[in-house]
Amino acid sequence: MKTTRLYLSNDTSSRAAGAGRLADAWSDRPEIQLIRTSSRGAFFLESMVERDTPAGREAWFNVVPDDLPRILDGVGGTPVAGIPFLQQQTRFTFANFGITEPLALDEYQTRGGLKGLAAAQSLSQEGIIEELRISRLRGRGGAAFPVWKKWQVAQQTGSEQKYVVANADEGDAGTYCDRMIMEGDPFRLIEGLMICARAIGATRGYIYCRYEYPAAVRTMKFAIQKAREADLLDCDDYPFDLEVVVGAGSYVCGEETALLESLEGRRGVVLAKPPYPSEFGLYGMPTIVSNVLTFATLPKILANGGAWHASLGTEGSRGTMALQIGGRVKQPGLVEIPFGLTLHEVLNRFGGGMAPGSRFKAVQVGGPLGSLFPESQLDIPICYDAFAEAGAILGHGGIVVYDNETNMVELARHFMAFTADESCGKCTPCRIGSVRGREILERIQRGQGTAEDLILLSDLGETMKSASLCALGGRAPYPVLTAIEHFGDEFRSKLSAFIPQ
Amino acid sequence: MTTRHRPRLAEVLETCRPDPLAKPNILKTLLAVQSALGHVPTSAIPQIAQVLGVTDTQISGVLSYYSDLRTQSSGRHLIRVCMGETCMANHGGRVFRAIQDHVRSAVGETTPTERFTVEKMSCAGNCAVSPTVMIDADLCGRVTPSDVPSLLEPYR
Repeated sequence: MKTTRLYLSNDTSSRAAGAGRLADAWSDRPEIQLIRTSSRGAFFLESMVERDTPAGREAWFNVVPDDLPRILDGVGGTPVAGIPFLQQQTRFTFANFGITEPLALDEYQTRGGLKGLAAAQSLSQEGIIEELRISRLRGRGGAAFPVWKKWQVAQQTGSEQKYVVANADEGDAGTYCDRMIMEGDPFRLIEGLMICARAIGATRGYIYCRYEYPAAVRTMKFAIQKAREADLLDCDDYPFDLEVVVGAGSYVCGEETALLESLEGRRGVVLAKPPYPSEFGLYGMPTIVSNVLTFATLPKILANGGAWHASLGTEGSRGTMALQIGGRVKQPGLVEIPFGLTLHEVLNRFGGGMAPGSRFKAVQVGGPLGSLFPESQLDIPICYDAFAEAGAILGHGGIVVYDNETNMVELARHFMAFTADESCGKCTPCRIGSVRGREILERIQRGQGTAEDLILLSDLGETMKSASLCALGGRAPYPVLTAIEHFGDEFRSKLSAFIPQ
Repeated sequence: MTTRHRPRLAEVLETCRPDPLAKPNILKTLLAVQSALGHVPTSAIPQIAQVLGVTDTQISGVLSYYSDLRTQSSGRHLIRVCMGETCMANHGGRVFRAIQDHVRSAVGETTPTERFTVEKMSCAGNCAVSPTVMIDADLCGRVTPSDVPSLLEPYR
């Protein structure tokens, strides 16, 4: 019997959208061979099933088990190359997504994998760092610090032992690109970590992954095992040890010093900097901590050269960014594009407008600490500088759209309650400020707030911004204060008219 | 700690005993205990501290810090409702209330029949197909309040 190869994503979100049900329903069909790939990131079309045609892959969208005959007959498919959501993207870091099997090392290599590592191996440590300086890559986790500077410090700090740590504690709500990389293209992360290890002379690496990502942990462990068996984990003459470590549910562990504390098994508490981890990190040794997305960007930069990377994007933000669009849009999913499009263009071109029946109210960029933008401020370009100038952050690329049914007072309370829950407790502005902030918002919500409460909230916010030890306390006031700034009437209408004497 | 936990705890701790020269890793040990027993009973703290060569307070500190470490056993099935911003934007709060109504339990409490424990969870990274509900290891996406009864039915 002729068997037809069908491709179905095995990404966690694809499975949550029903890919697992399809695989189960079709498990006893000998006429098909189901290949489980990574996801293209066009989640609004999932469950999406693809098959080969002479003109490339064709796809069927929102598939249910009964669609199988139609797919096998080749009826009603759409050429993947003609899907506008994908067509308008510039995929480098996510080039393999939807195409390869995550754990097929040979496929990874056939599609250009390990070329970056080979290029790094032909360069000196200084040569690799110079290539990164030319690339003008900035860290993709949120802080956007120039990657080469951090590496140079670690490289120049003399030490017997150095470490590289991939920060996979992707806690920003609305973001999932690190999860997709670990589940969908794990060898890219391993290659990135190896390039860094070579550049600074590290012999041990860790991937600190959050507890909420069990499939990512499983895939990374398998991939490390495969890489070890293929003798890939060798830095020059000495073996490079790589281990996945699982966290236990703490947002602040995404901050590098807290992450290292947690990696050593202690409470994930933020430490004052300096010393920076690049000089004094894990167990007191020079350590590079970078986001998964940053490491996954490295192989292409080394393979194509730093100048190639610097030719993309805007003046201060070179390369591409993985944006994750979600909330009340028609087309939620992952978008990789060069920096520079406006927020409005991104929402329209990729988000496809609002979900049926809902009207736009606000959009939040950069996770739970990101500012809110009303409709009048959507012409801001997606790049680090424009966002910094607006007092906002791009963070890890999360974009969440809220509709007209969203209660802004409740949302502001949710943000403060989040910080109060997640504060590590080290510094007073964050530990106490977030609790007082939540209490004030609860008072307003109950209809017992006064005009003074809004002033108090603003004062409190300014104190937290300037006096907190890390970005959790320092950024927590932004979503709350921007909510009051743009939707002030909603807050004022809840205030008690009667002020007790 | 019930008597049935005691031999199992000793067994797990034996595998976590640190190398005499290495520093003990408290978090890793507590996660190993939780994965074996389902939770970390507070009565086990002295034994864990002794094996790792640290104080009881250090163990309690780490145990109370991380939200995914639990000191109470949960019901047969653990329902975790995502409270990330995308799920909120997609009205995940309504799903949460529907689940609470359906299993009649307050947050973090186990239903009288010990069938379910309902908890809120931080972002599950499933934002593109939100709202998200996680039942044991199964992640469900695009959940609506009316889906709740049929969603929970298979978990007896």
